[in-house]
Amino acid sequence: MAAPCRKVNYQFVKRSLRCFEPRVIPCRWSNTLRNQIVEKHRHSPLSSTRELVKQQDDPSDVLVPREFRFVHPDFLPYPIWNRRDRVREKLEREDMLKRRAVLDIPEFYVGSIMAVSIADKNAPGKQNRFVGICIDRAGHGLNHYFVLRNAIDGQGVEIKYDMYNPLLQKIEVLKMEKRLDPQLYYLRDAPLEYSTFRLDMEPVPISKGAHVPLNAIKVKLNPRPWSRRWERSNLKGVEPLDDYITEKMKKQKQHPQIQKTWEMHDLMLKARSSIDDREVDQIMNEVYKRKEKIQKEKLQKRGQEGKREGKKAQEVRR
Amino acid sequence: MAAFCIRSMLLRNLTCQNLISADPTLTARVLVCHQQVRGRRRTCKPPSWFSKRRVSVKQDITPENAKFIKEVVIETYKKPESPLKDGPWARGSWTPRTQRTGVLAIKLGIVPQWTKDGKKFKTTLLQVLDNHVINYTPPEEFSKSMGWKPFWGSKYGSVVVGALSCEPHLFSKSYNNLFAKAGVPPKRKLTRFLVTPDAAIQPGTPLNVMHFRVGDYVDCSAKTIGHGFQGVVKRWGMKGGPASHGCTKAHRRMGSMGGGGAKASVWKGKRMPGHMGMDWRIVKGLKIWRIDTKYNVLYVTGYSVPGPTHCYVRVYDTILRHRREDLEENGNPPPMPTFYPEDIEEPIPEEYLDEELFNFSSESISYVTEK
Repeated sequence: MAAPCRKVNYQFVKRSLRCFEPRVIPCRWSNTLRNQIVEKHRHSPLSSTRELVKQQDDPSDVLVPREFRFVHPDFLPYPIWNRRDRVREKLEREDMLKRRAVLDIPEFYVGSIMAVSIADKNAPGKQNRFVGICIDRAGHGLNHYFVLRNAIDGQGVEIKYDMYNPLLQKIEVLKMEKRLDPQLYYLRDAPLEYSTFRLDMEPVPISKGAHVPLNAIKVKLNPRPWSRRWERSNLKGVEPLDDYITEKMKKQKQHPQIQKTWEMHDLMLKARSSIDDREVDQIMNEVYKRKEKIQKEKLQKRGQEGKREGKKAQEVRR
Repeated sequence: MAAFCIRSMLLRNLTCQNLISADPTLTARVLVCHQQVRGRRRTCKPPSWFSKRRVSVKQDITPENAKFIKEVVIETYKKPESPLKDGPWARGSWTPRTQRTGVLAIKLGIVPQWTKDGKKFKTTLLQVLDNHVINYTPPEEFSKSMGWKPFWGSKYGSVVVGALSCEPHLFSKSYNNLFAKAGVPPKRKLTRFLVTPDAAIQPGTPLNVMHFRVGDYVDCSAKTIGHGFQGVVKRWGMKGGPASHGCTKAHRRMGSMGGGGAKASVWKGKRMPGHMGMDWRIVKGLKIWRIDTKYNVLYVTGYSVPGPTHCYVRVYDTILRHRREDLEENGNPPPMPTFYPEDIEEPIPEEYLDEELFNFSSESISYVTEK
């Protein structure tokens, strides 16, 4: 016997099918184009302003040292995907390289002791030189900055410099070093002796090709109050803080919402807040090539100038 | 509410194609919509007269056939029967009353720049991708079309500009027909600019960044980022209530809505919860600091150009009187009606920089005077 025919509720079917219909105008980003679509139109053969696709070099072609990306973190773009754009990043990088061809920006890390001279209208010699320890380094592209800290006349002073500011005259690294932490803002709550450096300090030479020395010093903080709750951020370059904090604070520190242990295992968070390794390789390749080219040009220029001077000297002798 | 409805219709017309079509029935239908209708200011539903643009592509095409279609499309648009072959229209000369067409750009993001004094400021990057003039309507015809407002009089005609060429088999027949006159592939986005008759442009003319010059001032209009239905604290920045001390269910509410006395009512325009963002906004008087001709990019003052990254932005000459006066006094009119590469004999440089802008390849700024 055939099964009795079931009555179909057409209203229900209609409603359930509605979710498969393409939405006419998605609400929030209806005025936005996706990244792939913009790229497609930039390279489309129908486009009148067509950008020719450059054959990307095989990353294995150019031997970029692995450390190169840590030496130049400013070339890494802003990692949030919906604010990224290839052309903007490229134009930004070109500006940076142009500036680097004029101003010599050395390799440095958080913890290095540096001297920066900057043009200043109000300074006595129209120029200002500041020596200090680099306590932070951040920002993407042309927005990259670093912060120097020193104690002057018993007063802690911090200056933030934009790395691509055209007022910068010279950047020197007096002592190349690394510290245990990515940021040293805790020096604000440490005795001033940890952040005191002589303004006439002489540069400490480092042999070429040697590893950057790690300064594993443990800073002893002042007793509370502090500018931040340092016991909650797991600082490595600080002596244990157990003497300074109360039992209640110790308990609070163990709370899962403060520890945030899940962030270690959150792969999506990692993917969202960082850039793909292959992409980093491509960027670094491009930068490495350009830098080599710039250095060659510089050497050629120097050679030509040297020749000219030599000729002049010869003429004078005659 | 009626005003809202009409306004929304007009806004939609900025992109709508029946501006161009000379179909009288369409026009009549829209004009009927002036009656008062309850409804939302912004809606996801397209209006009834909006003909379908996109056509679903049949899935049963073999990959070889799909490839063949692509080839045919590219070949047909390689050497189209361009209307420009009849020779360009007569060019008008610039007067203070002239209103030129604009371009439809894409916002790329924000980048800092420095002046020669060492002052840092933000610029917004706008890329002009693949823009063409699709249609020009003279004032006599335009004043009869539905997008026209009475206070414009018969001063302005309209120019429809399209950006981003697409393959025609993705669109409906009626949409594709709009581009037959201009001889360009169908565009992803259309927009309309009001122009005076002396700035009329022939359909099919390409527009690029050279339409503007460094040092000019422009207005940018775009749709802001949408936030959906929002409360009063996020939408209007009100303070909300206290977090504790016996506060019940009033942490993010707006408090009182109005007073008593003579005007014991809620005033019109009271700030309340509602839809936030996704609204047309105009930023006026932005200076062009730098032009990149290789990638067709404009560097424009500030970070307040509305919309997220990769949104469409309408860029046109500023209407601010004191910015236009500069052009009159200096006798420095912009290219009319747009830039034509034939006019310049020298090759176009890759970059134009403003006089006050710092060039990154020049020496560092120094205040030390050499003795």
